[in-house]
This record gives sequence, structure tokens and C-alpha cells, in this order.
Amino acid sequence: MEDIIHLKDVSMTYGRNGTRATALRGLSFDIRGGEYVVITGESGAGKSTLLTILGGLQVPTEGTVRINGVELAGLPADGMADFRRETIGFVFQAYNLLPYLTARENVMVPMSPERVSPREKAERADALLAAVGLSGKEDRLPSQLSGGECQRVAIARSLVHDPPVLLADEPTGNLDSATGEQILDLFSSLHGRGKTVLMVTHNRANLSRATRSIRLRDGEVEEDREFRSSRAESAAV
Amino acid sequence: MNIRKLAWKNLLRRKSRAVFTGLGIFLGIATFVAISSITSQMEGAVQDQLDRFGANIVVTPRTEQLSLGFGDIALGGTEVAHSRLTMSDKERIMSIRHRDRIRSIVPYLLTATDASGKNLVWMGLPGADMATARPWWKINGSPVRKRGEVVLGAEAAAALDKGPGGTVSAGSRQFRVAGVLAPTGEKEDGMIIAEIADVQSLSKRAGGVTYFEVAALCKDCPVEDIVAQIGQALPGARVSAIRQVVESRKAAVDQLRRLGFGVSAIVLLIGGLLVLVTVMGGVQERTGEIGVLRAVGFRRRAIFSLLFWETGWVSLHASFLGAATGIAVAFLASPSFGIGNPGIAVSPALLGVAAGLTLGLLGAVPPARRAAALSPTEAIRSL
Repeated sequence: MEDIIHLKDVSMTYGRNGTRATALRGLSFDIRGGEYVVITGESGAGKSTLLTILGGLQVPTEGTVRINGVELAGLPADGMADFRRETIGFVFQAYNLLPYLTARENVMVPMSPERVSPREKAERADALLAAVGLSGKEDRLPSQLSGGECQRVAIARSLVHDPPVLLADEPTGNLDSATGEQILDLFSSLHGRGKTVLMVTHNRANLSRATRSIRLRDGEVEEDREFRSSRAESAAV
Repeated sequence: MNIRKLAWKNLLRRKSRAVFTGLGIFLGIATFVAISSITSQMEGAVQDQLDRFGANIVVTPRTEQLSLGFGDIALGGTEVAHSRLTMSDKERIMSIRHRDRIRSIVPYLLTATDASGKNLVWMGLPGADMATARPWWKINGSPVRKRGEVVLGAEAAAALDKGPGGTVSAGSRQFRVAGVLAPTGEKEDGMIIAEIADVQSLSKRAGGVTYFEVAALCKDCPVEDIVAQIGQALPGARVSAIRQVVESRKAAVDQLRRLGFGVSAIVLLIGGLLVLVTVMGGVQERTGEIGVLRAVGFRRRAIFSLLFWETGWVSLHASFLGAATGIAVAFLASPSFGIGNPGIAVSPALLGVAAGLTLGLLGAVPPARRAAALSPTEAIRSL
């Protein structure tokens, strides 16, 4: 498979002179399409910063980021928004669903600015909800769904534009272990269908489904390991 | 799901904030519409009242000042009339193009002659026109209803020591005192008011008229046009508008209008600021939500549009409600402002809705720009 993500000498520094904090220091790695990468590290290692850079939410202060053939540094704000919509699917730890919208409407949110008929949008949302196992719960509000179901809605929302890359920030962090396993199964299933998955996590158990693990420490890659199979988890840990 | 529906759903979720945002516009538009409606109706009522208050055009014979002297010695002067007015001139006045604007033409004849042994001024006018010509007169007794009756001015009654039911002699005739005027502070206090035909007879000027008072209904027409047309109809007469009446009418209406616009402008300004502050607060509160929308691919314009739609919905509803309330308030309050037949002023209501919507959207521009400019990373971080 070709590289879908290419990072070269990526650094990220926050603040100005006197209060500067470096989150990433010269990161360089490539991720091939279809990989399932788990990014681990202690708090402050730079995981979330890396995820926001890969998601096109911010640009690094130094270095090159190219995702799906698009050089992010040169993109204007609207170009970056289009890139996020077409290339990246975000899944957050806290689901970040809009509480006043039903499951179906939450999945339809990324399609809101598009000139597509409401019926077509609803059909696409229902199909995605069915794909994540939420058939029959389309009209429920987030407050009427369990944590795992909310995360499934969030995953369905991230898949609306069929992005090649899924970025997940501690997607099982707010879930019990059984529900967390179900969510990881879902990610494995998506990975099996060709999606490139990057998951930031503290939980080493999440490594069991990954094909690769990148551990960050103080903004640098401390360890970058590929697994031949999910059973290689024990070796990594 | 589209931007409009998303905006609407968010409003339904934050009802109290939406109500508070709309409150400023609602109050502003309600005030604006109520004041504008009342002002415009008062404008009509004031004009009607002023038009009915009395004459606003006077027609007198054209005169010239003739200087008398001998060499360098000035011996004073005298006014020489080019022509005299007669009762038939009333028909000529009624022949002007704007005759439909003329409410009344009242001929007056003034003459000084003996009344029960005292030399007093007699004012003759048609008895039937007395109530319309001098509506402010308060008569103890009754007005002149037929020939042979007089009404005495307060001072004249005192000088003659006569009251209602008494008689006044002039020449060989006897006149019954029908009533006595309450003091007016004007010259008629010292006059005897009689039917014009009687005064013409006493002064031996059959059909003679000293001047005409013309009451023109000039709600929508310049009184100057009527003056010019009467001047053309009566070339030998001097026609002049009673400037004071016209000016005071204009001034009263202008003041009402200015007051209305001033108060409305202040309330609308406060309403606009309220929108700005509440929408700005809403943006602050929803930073995380905006971040999520940016993360899922919303362009800046889409965020701007979302905020605009939200404020647009609120402004539209608040404006309609405000306009309806303003109309209702104006309708109910009209009698208190001396408006006899209150109506619904459509123009201020439509203007109010347009102004409310514009104001709301203008007030939303700074917060919407701020929301659109939010960095997605900062927004996400606030979650």
C-alpha cells in the first residue's frame, strides 16, 4: 500500500518568547493506507497535538505534513475545512454529539452545508447508523442513548463522507471495558474495510487490534513498532 | 438537516437565550410601531383639529397707502381701497380649482354705528356660520338665529347694561339680545354681533363685505396654492394665509414626529446592543460545539451562516411579534391621545419588521465573524 500520511521533521511550539512550550520535536514517519496505528504515550507526550495536526485542525510550526496527497501547509482555511470533510473522520473521547439533535440528525450534521435533498441525507445517515448497529434508534436523542451507543453515533458521523482516514482520540476512554471492546470491534471492522485508523490512547489493551504502535515521549517518537498480527500485542507491551 | 434547521433546533434548545435575544428587538419594534402609529394618526387628528379650529385664509380688499403732504410737510396718510368686496365674491372664491378643499367661507361686515345711544362696532356675519367660524365662542343664551337678533360682546353688554332677552336699538330698529359672549380677550368683546344682512342694512351697504374668512382643509395640500387660486379669482383682493396657524400646525406635527423617531431610535439601539451581547455570549458558550462543526468540515462561511440564521429566526419572530404588539398598543392607546377613530397603520408595522430584521442581523455580524474565525483547535480544546 502507498503512504497515505507523510510527516517529515514536524515540530509544534506553542506560546511566544519566554513562554514557549514545545509539543512535538521533529517527528518523521509515514503511514501506509489501511494501517491501524495506535499512538500511545504519557500525558503531555504530544499525542493530541499530533492528532490535531493530522486532522488539519492546526498546522505545525515546522515540517511537512502530507495526507492523501495533500500538502496541508499551503491550504487556506476553507481548503483545510474541505480537506477535513473529505479526508478525515474524527471520533472524540466525549463523543461531542449535539445534544438537541437525534442520532440521525447528528449523523447528518456534516452534510448540513451540502445541497443534497433531506431525504437523501436521512437515507445515508440511517444506512450508517445501521452499519454501526443502531438500527431502530435513529430518532433517539443522545440523552436517550448509552455511552457506547453515543460513540457509535459519533463513529457513524465520522463516516458520512467516507473518509480514508479515521482519527480517534481515546474513543473508549469514557466507556466500560465491555462497551469499549465493542467500539474497538467496530474500528477493527472499519479497518478491515480499508480505512486507515489512527487511535490515540492511554489504554495498552487497545493495541490488540492495531497493526502498528507509535509511542511518543516528550514530543518525539520513542518507539515505532509494527505487528504482524493482533496477537503481537503482548510483545509490544 | 441543513443550516437553517440546525439553527432552528439550536434555538429551540436554548429557548430562554433566544427569548432574551429577541426581547430587545421585540421591545424596540413594539415601541417603534406603537409610537409611529400613534404619531401618524395624531398627525392626522392634529391637522383635522387645527383645520377645524378656524379660518386660515383672510380675503380683504386690496388697498394702497396714500401719503398726504404739502411740500416737505407730512400730513399723514390714508388707505385707499381699489375695490370693495361683496357677497357675490363668495361664489368666485368657490370657483377655484381647489374648491373641494374649502370647508367654509364666512363674509364679515364691520361698521361703527349707534347702539342704544352708544357708538359701538357691529360685526355682521351669517348667523348660521357662527358656530363654525368661531367654535371657541361661549355664548350665554343663544347665537344669532335670525334677523333682528344680536349677540353682545362681554364689554358691549356691560356698556349697554343689557343681557339675554333685552333689546338694543339702532336707528329706527330694535334688536333682541339673544345672548352674551363670555370674555374672549379679543376685539369682539366690545362688539355687537348680528346677522350680516342687518349690518348691511344699518351701514347702508347692501351686499357689502369687509372681509372673508376662508377655512381650507389643507391636510395634504399647501395652503399657498389655495391662496394663489383665490388671488386669481379675485384680482382686486388681497389674500393672505394666516401664517401663524399654518406654522404652528407644521411645528406641532413635526415635534410629534421627531419625538417618535427619537424614542424609537434609542429603544432600537438598545435592542441592537442586546442582540450583540447575547449572541456574543452564545458564541462564547458554544465554542466547543463550533469546534466540532469545524472539525467535521464546516467552512467559516457555514459557521457564519449558522449564527446568522439563528439570529435571523429570532429577529424575524421578535419583529413580527413586536409589530403586532405595537399595533395593538397603538390601537388601545389611541383614545388617550385624542384619536377618535383609531386605525391600523400598516406602513410603520412593515417598516418595523424590516428594521427589526436588519438590526438583528447587523447585531449578529460581530459575534458571527468571531465564531467563524475561531481556531478549530482552540474550540476543540474547550470541550
